Amino acid sequence: MISNAFFLGKGGVGKTTMSAAFALAMARSGKRVLIASLDPAHNLGDVLDTRLKDTPKEVEKNLYALEVDLNYWVEKYLEESRSELATTYSYNLTLNLDSFFDIMKYSPGTEEYAVLWAIEHIRCDLSGDYDIVVYDTPPTALSLRFLAMPAISNLWIAELTKLRARILEKRSTITRLNPTSPIANSCVDKADDKVYGKLGSIKRRLTDLSSLFERESYMAVVLNPDVLSVSEAIRIKDELDKIHIPLSAICLNKRGVSTAAWEIHKRLADSPLFEVDFKTGGLQTRDDLATIETSALVADFLATETVNKGIA
Amino acid sequence: MAAVFRKIASFFRIIAQVNREKATEMLEFELKELENIFSLLVIGGFVGMPSPPVPIAIELLPYMERELTVMLSRSDLASDPLGSLVGLLEMD
Repeated sequence: MISNAFFLGKGGVGKTTMSAAFALAMARSGKRVLIASLDPAHNLGDVLDTRLKDTPKEVEKNLYALEVDLNYWVEKYLEESRSELATTYSYNLTLNLDSFFDIMKYSPGTEEYAVLWAIEHIRCDLSGDYDIVVYDTPPTALSLRFLAMPAISNLWIAELTKLRARILEKRSTITRLNPTSPIANSCVDKADDKVYGKLGSIKRRLTDLSSLFERESYMAVVLNPDVLSVSEAIRIKDELDKIHIPLSAICLNKRGVSTAAWEIHKRLADSPLFEVDFKTGGLQTRDDLATIETSALVADFLATETVNKGIA
Repeated sequence: MAAVFRKIASFFRIIAQVNREKATEMLEFELKELENIFSLLVIGGFVGMPSPPVPIAIELLPYMERELTVMLSRSDLASDPLGSLVGLLEMD
């Protein structure tokens, strides 16, 4: 069932504006909507004309918003790992965990995982209170990395799980042949092996996230009538194709900002196109968001949701 | 007489145990290699090897005490891996 909408695109094309206008239209049509900003440089609060935090805040009737604090998720995760490590290796007083974990904050992949943990938290703990969750995403590079992360990580997890199964099988054989071997003291059963269990739980979490992106989400790419944002939209489409995430819609924002001739690129022509006029006066208040024409986009989302409900 | 039987039984028990040790020696060597490879795959990123995303390694690390010990002991043999294998196979 489609109950999530992601707005992707190049920095500055109007992802926050489009996602906020979409969420507002949904809320005013009677759906309970949560809009979450995943961008580390948040400006969702500015667009909605209110101060937001890491927990849902009621912006108006049926519309709730939050700005994900990625640093909080990195710190929380590292703290959990730190305490687990300290318990297991408590005898090793020379292990300087604090400086090790300080470096970990800047490791490749940590920021992408923080986004995934935040999405997982919204899905598991918050989404039950809402009909639709709308995500305002960071610029393309980080968005594509976190969208691809479950698929890439699952390849690794599959190989590590196979290798772990071989290790357990070998331990079991040795224990059977020679019960007095030191190996007999180590874990031989998949059900008891903590590493095997942990691999399984990571796999389940990543599979759930993959399913959320591939089957339960409406992916809209926002672009402007200019070459750069269109080129980036094509790259997004190509990358989404590689990880089997369907592109649901193209939102052409700021139509009419330029008088140059413009037409949609054929690579993007498979997805429905929704056009939004350039607002010469800009957006001053939240009510200005309601003047953005999103009814066709909302109708397409609801139609997709209905079709998927039927299939489910 | 009973003492003699006990000694004979003990002799056969020792022989059986020696044979069991022999039978599993090669398997234990293979197991250590597998455990070493597993550790290298999980935490290889720290020394520049292709590895899963670091957060996965960090989640597995608390449960890999034995594998890390094996990896460190294998690194002691790194200067003469063939020697240890030939010794295991009792080749002169």
